[in-house]
Amino acid sequence: MLDALWIVLLGMAIIFAVLGILLLVMTVLGKARFLKPKKKDTD
Amino acid sequence: MDLAAGEFLGFLNLSWQTALMLVISGVLMWLGIAKKVEPVLLVPIGVGCMLSNIPLSGAVEAGGFLAVLREAGIHTEIFPLLIFIGIGAMIDFEPFLQRPYTILLGAAAQFGIFGTFFLAYLLGAGWLNVLDFSLQDAAAIGIIGSADGPTSIYVATMLQSKYTAAIVVAAYSYMAMVPLIQPPIIKAMCSKEERALKMTSAAGTISQRTKILFPIVTILVVGLITPKATPLIGCLMFGNLLRECGVVNMLAQTAQNELANIVTILLGITVGGMMAGAEFLKPETILVFILGIVAFSLDTVAGVLLGKLMCRLSRGKINPMIGACGISAFPMSARVIQKLGLEANPHNHLLMPAAGANVAGQIASVVAGGVMLMLVPIFA
Repeated sequence: MLDALWIVLLGMAIIFAVLGILLLVMTVLGKARFLKPKKKDTD
Repeated sequence: MDLAAGEFLGFLNLSWQTALMLVISGVLMWLGIAKKVEPVLLVPIGVGCMLSNIPLSGAVEAGGFLAVLREAGIHTEIFPLLIFIGIGAMIDFEPFLQRPYTILLGAAAQFGIFGTFFLAYLLGAGWLNVLDFSLQDAAAIGIIGSADGPTSIYVATMLQSKYTAAIVVAAYSYMAMVPLIQPPIIKAMCSKEERALKMTSAAGTISQRTKILFPIVTILVVGLITPKATPLIGCLMFGNLLRECGVVNMLAQTAQNELANIVTILLGITVGGMMAGAEFLKPETILVFILGIVAFSLDTVAGVLLGKLMCRLSRGKINPMIGACGISAFPMSARVIQKLGLEANPHNHLLMPAAGANVAGQIASVVAGGVMLMLVPIFA
């Protein structure tokens, strides 16, 4: 049972870590103007 | 010639299990055709179920065509991966890229997978031992909470679960039932004021460079940390790269139409072919379906809880309901949130932020599948 609990805790931690890193990488690339969204046409 | 009629007449060999499964196959086809519930899947699954339960047909015996399809497409995991190329080519990640923070909602909504896994394991080998659920079976059952058919097939097959057919049917059925499962939970967790919260529109459109780099970056980040998720995320993002790179439109069209349709036909009939009565009709199968609802419900609860936290931290700029879209049942979940938003406030259009969380959930569910495949062998 303890093994299963470890899987739950580690699993959720890894998912947040992986997706958090993905978010971070996207943010860094965005700041470096690689991924900057185009401004909306306001006309 | 000294053959008894029972050796060549199918109906003389009907057991109660095969007879019941023939009825169930009829119900699946009726749901697909008459009620239009996931017809693309339920019609082939219904036919496959019917063919596999006709006695003496040989369709599911060694060398039979359904057995060959199962061996070639499911046991090798080729069908779910090919489907993912098609899905990737269909998905527009722009709503997500406009609100990248929604990836955290996708992460939270994977709790249904792990919560259900824990529950299934407690009912099985982990504690009570009342059901024949090993650690691998429990993990495969939990993956119903990915709300993603191909991921469910892939993970259940990789873990060699005895309940793969039931898990796949449950995953696809509950995806169609998202409009019934989610609203009562969301209404119980969010007040009318919260549901009525408007979200501002996104700052601008996303550049093509972003759309091209996104699948490549995702493959690298996810693959390098959770390598077991690489085949799934790789195929999903490959399909998306075909769509976004703009130089292989023919391939992108083929992936989202011909490829996806052909594999859906083969996958559907093969999954149906795994529903032979003697193997399918067990008390555990009923529990798999009950645990499937638990998984979808826990997904919704966890997503909304993080949505509420984000709402508080952003001082009401994020509608907590979009947390429920962290499950990857795309686009059903986003539509549910749009409908609930409009019910609470006729001017509250949440479709785009909800779709963002929804496609983020698609990525998160693939990561969750890879994490499960990574952790279970370590603890088994």
